[in-house]
Amino acid sequence: MSNASETLARLLASEIRGDLLVLFHRNPGLIDTLDGVARRIGRTAATIEQDVNDLINLGVLKTRVFGKSQALLLDRERDREILETVAAHIKDTREGETL
Amino acid sequence: MELDEMLRGGFMEGDAVLLAGSAGTGKTTLALQYLVTGITRFGEPGIYVTFEELPDQIYRDAKNFGWDLRSLEEANKFKLVCTSPNLLLESGTQTILDEVIKELPAKRIAIDSLSHLAMYVQENQLRQEAYRLVRHLKTRELSSLLLWEVNQTGGSSFSVTEIGLSFLVDCIVVLKQIEIESSLRKAILIQKMRGSDHDKRLREFEITPGGFKIESAFSEYEGLMTGSGRKVASEKFVELFRGASGKTKSR
Repeated sequence: MSNASETLARLLASEIRGDLLVLFHRNPGLIDTLDGVARRIGRTAATIEQDVNDLINLGVLKTRVFGKSQALLLDRERDREILETVAAHIKDTREGETL
Repeated sequence: MELDEMLRGGFMEGDAVLLAGSAGTGKTTLALQYLVTGITRFGEPGIYVTFEELPDQIYRDAKNFGWDLRSLEEANKFKLVCTSPNLLLESGTQTILDEVIKELPAKRIAIDSLSHLAMYVQENQLRQEAYRLVRHLKTRELSSLLLWEVNQTGGSSFSVTEIGLSFLVDCIVVLKQIEIESSLRKAILIQKMRGSDHDKRLREFEITPGGFKIESAFSEYEGLMTGSGRKVASEKFVELFRGASGKTKSR
């Protein structure tokens, strides 16, 4: 499995991860706690924690500490790189299928 | 805009303004118009902080008024920050806003809303936290618009002073829905403004496709602050007279 297809598989590994990606892409100015992010997609912090950690490991999300709280936000630069890689991978796959 | 005329020249630079009103009165629209006008007319970048509504809803609603917030963001003149009140409260010395304020650099800010902040602190701490926030924004020389959602149940009056925040701010603008002759109309009032002989009248306003449009004062009505206005006695007499005179003419 190529790096790009592996990334794509990890990005879309769960429904929660999909909800998180949609939330942060539609609202790039969102800076919130785990609890706040969970509330915005109608879930609890405990339910989304694992998926959030995976998105942090992938580099889509990053964390910042403000006082005693940790905030989650979109890593716009890294996110753009990932999206470009995935888009290129999808294009290659489609072209390969056509041939 | 007409609000500047009511304020006798507009909000003063660096002032903290409390914008109070019940749901659906147009607080968000007025706050966005304040920021967009600041950017387009005065070259003053602005920040909109929302605790409840998600940015994509705000971008969409603003576009209906012809305000392209995404373009303003791309031009680095505007930033929409969506966060939880506790993150703002627990930020310590370096607040969540400081980076954005420096980046623009911002001259205006709207916080939507203090009512959400109130949900995260105990009642007796609200004034203290609101004071801290107001002082923080003032120290950074920002003109601020702090939104406050008031419960306005049918017919009852409300007072923004009862929440104990009035002494913290330099200006209080109240938006109200009032019932006149079985229809709901909207009214705006400058309840307080330090250092200005502002318009003391309750004036009607409409939300038009271009934003806020303030009309004339409700000079023919009284009891509007209770939410339900009635014609003043002299107007009733004039109407009675007109009616009687009309009857005479028809004969």
